[in-house]
Amino acid sequence: MILRVFNWVMAAVMLAPLVLIVWMSFTPAAFFRLPTTEFSLRWYREAFNYPGFLNSFLLSLRLAGVSAAIATFLAFLAAYGLVRFRFPGKGALEAFFMSPLLVPGVVYGIAMLQFVNSLGLYNTFWALVLAHIAIVVPYALRPIHAQLRAVPEDLEWAARTLGATRTRTLLRVTFPICARGVLSGFLLAFLISFAEVTVVIFMTGPAYQTLPIRIYNYLTDQIDPTVAAISAMLIGLSLVLILILDRIGGLRPAAK
Amino acid sequence: MSGTDATIQGQGAARWLPAVFVLPLGIVLALGFLWPLFDGTVNSFHPFTRAGIDRSTWTLENYAKLADSFYAGILWRTIRVSLIVTLLTAALAYPVALYIVGLSPRGQAFYLLIYMTPWLVNVVVKAFGWSLLLSANGVINQSLKALGIIETSMRLMLNETGIVIGLTHGHFIFVLLPLWAALSGLDPNLRWAAANLGARGWDIFRRVTLPLTLPALMAGLIINFTMNMTAFATPALLGGARARVVSFLAYEVNLVELNWPLGSAMAVAMLAISLLLIWLSLRTASFGSRRVRPEGASP
Repeated sequence: MILRVFNWVMAAVMLAPLVLIVWMSFTPAAFFRLPTTEFSLRWYREAFNYPGFLNSFLLSLRLAGVSAAIATFLAFLAAYGLVRFRFPGKGALEAFFMSPLLVPGVVYGIAMLQFVNSLGLYNTFWALVLAHIAIVVPYALRPIHAQLRAVPEDLEWAARTLGATRTRTLLRVTFPICARGVLSGFLLAFLISFAEVTVVIFMTGPAYQTLPIRIYNYLTDQIDPTVAAISAMLIGLSLVLILILDRIGGLRPAAK
Repeated sequence: MSGTDATIQGQGAARWLPAVFVLPLGIVLALGFLWPLFDGTVNSFHPFTRAGIDRSTWTLENYAKLADSFYAGILWRTIRVSLIVTLLTAALAYPVALYIVGLSPRGQAFYLLIYMTPWLVNVVVKAFGWSLLLSANGVINQSLKALGIIETSMRLMLNETGIVIGLTHGHFIFVLLPLWAALSGLDPNLRWAAANLGARGWDIFRRVTLPLTLPALMAGLIINFTMNMTAFATPALLGGARARVVSFLAYEVNLVELNWPLGSAMAVAMLAISLLLIWLSLRTASFGSRRVRPEGASP
């Protein structure tokens, strides 16, 4: 009984800040005063009229799309190599591909800041893409790797014996069978890239402020409900992506 | 792994064929991940001068500087705050996990998703949500004033309290999830046997449940502590310059003072500490899985 009430309280605490953001985003006042029952879309209009947020949103979409696509492509090839062949150093290579998970964002961000500057790539889009590929590759690799291992190799052999080349088999048989794992990998990679704050804040230049960085900078300056509207939309967006991921089973390895 | 691997090579596939698949990712990670980390490590052994990094001489002065009282003090605060968060999370997550494992599979999935939401929402958004609750005219202070409990606002953020609340919320799932997994893997016969031998509720928990889930709890706590130590956005927004932690200081050193050798030394130190802790957590977890499984009981 005590445990049940405690669980409710904790669950409420988990959701409280998020619920409050959504609530605030629909009120007309510049300050959040309780109790409030008025409804307004004023801050959503403000959010869309402030070009900084829109540009940052588009940049974040582009960055997450490009890096997740490249990372997923590389991860698919790597997973195929790791699962379908046996070669020396395979275990070490697999560990290397997962190792970005072990390095804290602050550490990698500092390293990238100095590296990107020494190469003259500071304040460029592709510097961010490079960093994001490294950050999201483990998330893309895991579901694809698991799916490839679960799929019997017989189908590929069948295609080969019927005369398909290795490339053709890879494209027309292996890839479609793994589509679900590839999609999970891509969506997870996209989500992680879109949410990345720490590494970007250390290495990015003024011309490339992703949406979370724009919000961060806005918050260190002032607090008004425009951020609430943006944040509420971000919460909605993650909700949609999570529901899709849940449907295709992409969250299952994480929940186990 | 399976016999088919051998057949691929038996069919005369070229030796270099696997390289075609694994090398592209290997090269990208070597260039974009390993090299920057190596480069930064090298920078940490060069002195910092007015003109920039002096690459002609080697020194340990950057590491020696980390022991200065100013830096050591901030490191101490970071450790203290991280430890408070970890202990608080342990105390809060255990009862929750105990309650959740008793629910139906649907109920378990539902609550796990709720506890997972903070992890799925952007860290900056979370910090903003907390500032709505904790700020001087935030919801908590407004409510307490309206109820007449306090006269002036309490300071709940832009200090260590704010960091503790934000991190406990943000990293809760990393303790809850392994704990839940360990508890749901527990053989119910063990509790039944203990009860049969005369143990009561609290005794069963203390003598049976807790020892058997301790490795999972410890592994989760170490991961939680590691993440607290290296968190950036939450302590920066809810703690700020009044409660500087190591990552915030590293930001100032690298981007305000532009002292990259010192900044790199801080990064190397943080990397070493977190790798050590992760290794410790993996060891604890594997020690647990060896001990929890009763001999001969596994299929």
